[in-house]
Amino acid sequence: MSAAQHQALVLGSVSFVAFVIFLCFLIPSRRTKFSVFAACNLLFVALMFGAVALVDLSGGRAEIMVALMTELPVALIVAWVCLALAGGLSSRLPAEPVARRPRLRTILGSAPLVLLLSVGLATVVGLVWPSPALRVYAPAPPQFFVLKGLIMAPEALYSGLAAVVFVMAGLAPGLKRRFYFKNLAFSIGMVCIALIALESTVFAGLRVWLSGEGRRVILETLNTLEACLAICCILAFTAGLSLRYTPVVATTLLHRLQTGWLHTQEQFESLEWQAVSSGAADRLAHASDAVVEACRIKGLSEPEVQKALATIRLVAVMRDPSGETQHITPDAARKLYELQEEILCDDVLASKISWAAGWRSRAHEPQTVKSAPLHDALKAALELVDNHGESEGVRTPPLWYYIVAVSAADAKMIDPTHLSMRLREGVEHRAALEAYDLAKRTLRMLEDHDRERRLPEG
Amino acid sequence: MNVDAPKRNLEGPFLNRLTGIWRPLRNLGAARSPVNGSRSLLTAAEFQEELAVLGLSGRRFEPEDYSDALGEYLNISITVHVIPDSWYPELSRLLALSGRLGELRYSEQLNLAAIFVPGSLPPLVLTLTILHELGHLAAGDLLIEPDEDFEDDQHAERTTFTTLPLKNGKKLARGYPFAEESLREREANLRASYALFAGCLGDESPYAHGMRDVL
Repeated sequence: MSAAQHQALVLGSVSFVAFVIFLCFLIPSRRTKFSVFAACNLLFVALMFGAVALVDLSGGRAEIMVALMTELPVALIVAWVCLALAGGLSSRLPAEPVARRPRLRTILGSAPLVLLLSVGLATVVGLVWPSPALRVYAPAPPQFFVLKGLIMAPEALYSGLAAVVFVMAGLAPGLKRRFYFKNLAFSIGMVCIALIALESTVFAGLRVWLSGEGRRVILETLNTLEACLAICCILAFTAGLSLRYTPVVATTLLHRLQTGWLHTQEQFESLEWQAVSSGAADRLAHASDAVVEACRIKGLSEPEVQKALATIRLVAVMRDPSGETQHITPDAARKLYELQEEILCDDVLASKISWAAGWRSRAHEPQTVKSAPLHDALKAALELVDNHGESEGVRTPPLWYYIVAVSAADAKMIDPTHLSMRLREGVEHRAALEAYDLAKRTLRMLEDHDRERRLPEG
Repeated sequence: MNVDAPKRNLEGPFLNRLTGIWRPLRNLGAARSPVNGSRSLLTAAEFQEELAVLGLSGRRFEPEDYSDALGEYLNISITVHVIPDSWYPELSRLLALSGRLGELRYSEQLNLAAIFVPGSLPPLVLTLTILHELGHLAAGDLLIEPDEDFEDDQHAERTTFTTLPLKNGKKLARGYPFAEESLREREANLRASYALFAGCLGDESPYAHGMRDVL
């Protein structure tokens, strides 16, 4: 076996072992396009090196073609990685540091074109001026250095650039440890490819210009270095690809939330606000003032007052026959409530989706689907409008609910005779009724006082 | 939204001709999004790229942070005025009657954008309204000369829509603003919802994840 065949056997074996690892361990557990592409390349390289090891292909243009075929998969891998970093692959995003730098993105995006062009040019050079590309220790003409340099210079440049981008991505603040190690592993892999490219160029130069006794030793050392770098590269990529992280929220779920829940809730709340603000639900003004006052008389907390207010607004809007409020129907309310319930079934998701209670008001707790008054208000309003409080089951409604029920009945938003017996007979109902009457009297007194004060002024 | 564009003295025939020559030349540089071309509506992935440009990708953020980062990127001052109902009781009524939730004013001369929203808006709607108006600034919707006569009634069959060139100024979006106003509004809504979820999820967003795990 010649030295060239021995070197091909080493590299072919490394590639084949890596292919087996990819096939048996990586692809079944995490099948990405890149892992499949890398596995195909490894198999191709293993076959090419295997052919070189088994058959003596040295001599003439066939030697050049085989040598270039062994270089091609590495160039393809580098091109794929650069394109992935630039976000050039279909339905993939660029790496964060690249998204911020349009020039870097353009450079990385040009990798496939430049690398394939360089391989093409090298092929032309090799075919016009054939050189002993596979006979690793044989002296070579300067054309061989040109051939190698044409492929290796852009390969080293792009893989070096990709390594830097992976380091930048890995150093992003607040990055999960898994992502840090993943990007670090890919960075090491790309550094190895860049070093192999540099080593190959130096190797080609030494074959052309170095002579003397020490030549063979130096070339053998460089060959060993290349094999070690190839092993390191494959190990680094294997480690990087095996590190997995699945985000809490899947893309499909997020899309469903955006088009489903968020769209519906925004539509519902904004239409309700428009109806209330434009005065479409004119029975609301007095009822809501009395509800707020009654809640305060009973010493209810602010969140409870807000729920009561949201409920009476909803009942008023749903019961309003005017055109402005026609979209706020019990059916729309029910649909929104069901969507909210869907989110609340997922504890992690429900805790993550929140919005500020006001602009630049970090003092207030952000609202969530659960904590926002609308969720309980929807349920309460639907019960009052649809079933007049019948669907409560064994649960005793809170006091704010009784106050809203009394107020809605008083304002003729719901039929008082249809309020369920259970609601009307409870202690809470009597307490709510008393508080509501007192609130109305208080408001009337305040109005009278205001009117009297205005009369002398007038 | 309203635009207070500065009056420029470019009425002369020479300057008009120069502007006419310059525009196509300038547009040659915009390789990705052809001026007077067409594009589809913004996707969540494309929005994540915008967030990366602002340095907000993979971070939890509030609308205030988005506003600050956007203002810094566009080199304009963005102020948000939440007007309590007690200050201007008529504001809510007038906005509600006109079917709007907020108002965006932009002065090119002063490099200033002001967003006005009534304080009585429900918190989620308030947040989305502010993000919607910020979305117009990000898209560069205020930097075009709206084509009042533009009509496009083939929405059902189309996935790409006509865009308009910018007069001047800077935008965050990679694509040019849509010619049709309803599409600009639709995209501002999309930006608002993407921003809300991206801000809530931070590094748990699948799109942020995609930018950190490219292979």
